[in-house]
Amino acid sequence: MSAALAYEWTRLRTIRSTWWLTGIAVVIGLLIAFGIGFGSAVDLSNHPRDLGSDRDLIGPIVATSAAAAGAPCLVGYVLAMIGILAWGHEYRHGMIRASLTALNSRGALWVAKFAVAGAWVAVVTFVVTVVSACLGWLFLQDYGVPVFTARTWGVVGREVVYVVVLTWLAMAFTALTRSQAFALVMIFLWPLLVESVITAILNLVPGLRDHSELARFLPFGAGSRMLDVTRDASSLFGSPLSATGGFIVFGGLAAVLMVVSWLLLQRRDA
Amino acid sequence: MATIEARGLGKTYGGKTAVSDLSFEVRPGSVTGFLGPNGAGKSTTMRLMLGLDHGAGTTTFDGRLFTELDHPMRHVGALLEAKPFHPTRKARNHLRMLAAANGIPLARVDEVLGQLGLAEVARKKPKTFSLGMGQRLGLAAALLGDPHTLILDEPANGLDPQGIQWMRQLLKHLAGQGRSVLVSSHLLSEMALLADDLVVIGRGRLISSGPVDDFVRGARGSVVVVRSPQTAQLAELLQRRDEVSAELVDGALQVNGLDAEAVGDLAFDHGIRLHELTTQLATLEEAFLEATAGAEEYLAHEPGHEPPPRPLERPQGGAW
Repeated sequence: MSAALAYEWTRLRTIRSTWWLTGIAVVIGLLIAFGIGFGSAVDLSNHPRDLGSDRDLIGPIVATSAAAAGAPCLVGYVLAMIGILAWGHEYRHGMIRASLTALNSRGALWVAKFAVAGAWVAVVTFVVTVVSACLGWLFLQDYGVPVFTARTWGVVGREVVYVVVLTWLAMAFTALTRSQAFALVMIFLWPLLVESVITAILNLVPGLRDHSELARFLPFGAGSRMLDVTRDASSLFGSPLSATGGFIVFGGLAAVLMVVSWLLLQRRDA
Repeated sequence: MATIEARGLGKTYGGKTAVSDLSFEVRPGSVTGFLGPNGAGKSTTMRLMLGLDHGAGTTTFDGRLFTELDHPMRHVGALLEAKPFHPTRKARNHLRMLAAANGIPLARVDEVLGQLGLAEVARKKPKTFSLGMGQRLGLAAALLGDPHTLILDEPANGLDPQGIQWMRQLLKHLAGQGRSVLVSSHLLSEMALLADDLVVIGRGRLISSGPVDDFVRGARGSVVVVRSPQTAQLAELLQRRDEVSAELVDGALQVNGLDAEAVGDLAFDHGIRLHELTTQLATLEEAFLEATAGAEEYLAHEPGHEPPPRPLERPQGGAW
């Protein structure tokens, strides 16, 4: 197993796309944090007021680049591309045969890919969220807005988990389809279009309106509940889902796809 | 050093047989040429040997399956396709990655890059490489672990004549060190210079396996040429023998099925005077084309001509 981890660790660091995708994720995260922190500071400077309970939301929102306010987790989507390329390059460039003659254990290669990509995106996400929170603190400290609260640290932890699950889901999908182009399209199309269309159908079609609450179980929407701090959950799988409920739905889909990708890797010809 | 033993290899794709009950050995200290027409199943066989494709049969390297080898690149080096690397990962990094998986020191990466003439492009991206340079990088990867066994699929593809000569010398040198080398190629003239043994397949089945000399001598194109003032008498004697044929060409008998010694002894025993007794060997290409006649997966038709039906099995003996 250590050989596979060493292989994958070297593979990840010796390809330029890892670095520019990581750089893009960092820049996006920090730019959004800068915008939120600076904008909030200017707003509070021009219109001093008591934010009430909203004060506690600014820290999580600035740390997660607005994902805690229900916005798409852009940092996560960019980092998930690193996972897509981890499998995509194997099939796009015929590297899978080189990998399996260097390692000769399909199971070890599979575990190493998910472990190394997961660790990479987890560390980057943690760094981006913490630095983003620091940026927010720099702007907001003079206005009595607490940034490093327990709530902020909680959402930072959940974003790390969310991005790892998102990356694994994207990786499993790529390993299943053996097409990085298809996976790259799907990772954006599914949450932005497919789930929106399904939700719209459930809300608009008269016969389905009674079941519109089921839309909360759509996986990407459920996953976003892991980060959203603006709406409180009534129960684990209530409407909206709790963070844990969202994790179970989103992580469950990722787990199922990962198991299928494992089985197919064992069975398919390289 | 390890013997490669392939036993009962088989593979079907959607009901179509690609490789069927294929068994052969590659002995240490030899270069074994792996020949067959396009689509004969050579690449599939190599992938089966390395456990990359799932199918019937087993291949052992010194008695162990590829999947049982610890640090496999230290045992078996493989080159299976023209450009088996990411186009933007630098050549040295590609080898570093493979080395990391097999506990190979970094110094060996630089050593093998130098050995393969890639030191100057070690920090360049392979997307800028010619096919020949790509083959060299693939070969560098195969040699990285200093393995006792090499499995190379068309390694000469894209190499210039100097490169082909260099590769021939390298593989012969490696075999001379006691390694087992299995190499497929379409360059039959090159294979004639390189290989000690041959494994010839057609439509996924074994056609011939053994030393190159035996394969060439067994071809109908390999004949003993005899000139004699008593040609008719000698031809009649030869006719009486089973599985011997003789044909009169330009005043000389071309004898198939007997070697020169036996023809000479026969003539001497019957008091027949000989003016010429020479062995004329078929080329490897002639022997290969004869052996694989009818075993081509893809046939090109000559304009205006339908291809004649040809038997799969190699004919035994011959007739006048």
